[in-house]
Amino acid sequence: MSAAKPPFLGFGLGLRPQHYSEILNGSPEVDWFEVLSENYMVEGGQPLRMLDRICERYPVVMHGVSLSIASTSPLDLDYLTRLKALAARVNPRWISDHLCWTGVHGVNLHDLLPIPYTREALDHVVDRVSQVQDFLGRRLTLENVSSYVTFGQSEMTEWEFVSEVANRADCWLLFDVNNVYVSAYNHGFSADDFLNGVPRDRVVQFHVAGHSHEESHIVDTHDHPVCDEVWDVYRAAVAHFGPVSTMIERDDNIPPLTELVDELDHARGIAREVLGAPHLAAAE
Amino acid sequence: MSSLKDLQESFQRGILAGDDTILAEIKDSATEERKVLFGVYRHAYVARLAEVLADDYEQLHSYLGDAGFAKLAKSYIAAHPSDRKSARDFGRHVPEFLKTDAGFAKHPELAEIASLEKALADAFDGPDAKPLKLARLAETAPELWTSLVFAPHPTTIRLTFTTNAADIWSALREETAPPPARLLPEPQALLVWRQDVTSRFRPLGPEEAMMWDEAAAGTRFGVLCEMVATCGGEEGADFRAATYLKDWVDMESLADCRLLS
Repeated sequence: MSAAKPPFLGFGLGLRPQHYSEILNGSPEVDWFEVLSENYMVEGGQPLRMLDRICERYPVVMHGVSLSIASTSPLDLDYLTRLKALAARVNPRWISDHLCWTGVHGVNLHDLLPIPYTREALDHVVDRVSQVQDFLGRRLTLENVSSYVTFGQSEMTEWEFVSEVANRADCWLLFDVNNVYVSAYNHGFSADDFLNGVPRDRVVQFHVAGHSHEESHIVDTHDHPVCDEVWDVYRAAVAHFGPVSTMIERDDNIPPLTELVDELDHARGIAREVLGAPHLAAAE
Repeated sequence: MSSLKDLQESFQRGILAGDDTILAEIKDSATEERKVLFGVYRHAYVARLAEVLADDYEQLHSYLGDAGFAKLAKSYIAAHPSDRKSARDFGRHVPEFLKTDAGFAKHPELAEIASLEKALADAFDGPDAKPLKLARLAETAPELWTSLVFAPHPTTIRLTFTTNAADIWSALREETAPPPARLLPEPQALLVWRQDVTSRFRPLGPEEAMMWDEAAAGTRFGVLCEMVATCGGEEGADFRAATYLKDWVDMESLADCRLLS
């Protein structure tokens, strides 16, 4: 496996079918796209045709939601085989999924479920990441998730757990700025403590997204524009981690592409203010 | 303290079966009780899958209305925990569920509307294959046509409806009032396929449906012509068979042809 950290790609968006024609018929100010792996694990038709055309024009990264790396059920070899086949087609700059589990006993709860931050869970996840990386022949990138509960048995903080996974399994991290904000609010920790606690050299991607505020807690819905508080954490993350490939992630209530490009421009502006323009020249 | 395996099993039971055992492992936050916080996961599971079903069965949703569709989603989600990595596969049992559930089975058009929507979705991202072109057929000498056999496009799906579900679906798609559901005097044959990137369907008359089914099963063209003659009369049978074949080529529902040696 290559030891080289993936290059800074600039400012990207999650590819959504609603935007296919706008992307392919125009030239939106988007440096790269993140594609949802499961959406393209199909046999043919428009999804794969559009994917091929996007891959011809833009750098692409793959992002999955059902690897279930922390599940105590066996790894799903059929899924991993399909993931590897899709990667052979897409040639992604990296492949990411979430530091979570999605179900046991063959059930998929279609949610990014929380892990108790215990040594047992840590050993389990590290072992599974190593197995997946060996199978894929490449490093995996893992994203911190939003969570709504904490477990009494946890023995360390989330950022200690995330860092230990990255260092011991030798994988990359996708630092989801919104998820840090959401979990910090829900569990009463400091977002600064989280970002200061994560190893700088492991972070290859940022997600920035919106959420729904329920007063006593925040739900990570990805259906709103990015709010000022999350932009503040983004600003701090850029200052701490330096130039990191940044993406606006919208999964529901999808607005016109121009609206997301405007949000992406806002991220560019913050990064430029914090780092200065010369540091933001994307590798591509 | 439970092991990771026990905790995950308990957490899953809490979501699927409403079992509160997991709450003993969860802490209250400074601002909210653990039951409410865990409830975010419980709610998300049902809400997410109900949304998946509404996206996959858009016209069935329109036909049943929000309340009727919510009732279907609730019973289906309880009966079929998701067992696939992709949410796209979650609703694949809906047509069968509607056919067998005592409450819904009284309205047979529901399962048929769902079957049509599922077939259109399956055709949408089904396997790619280049469609058979007329030029390819023209390469075959006329005297050899009787030995031609055909391969359907891999996205083709044949349905047989006992109700006017296809008309109901079409009206809903056009956002007009659907006709009242009724049983048809004779079953209706439908062919679903993908033309380029668009899923399509069209009814087949009894003779064309018979010829399609035989052609899809590998019967050679000479025999197909004989069967058409038996089905609809000898006069003009070869012409009718050739017309059906040309229609299939024009609508790109065939992928290949070859001479049966």
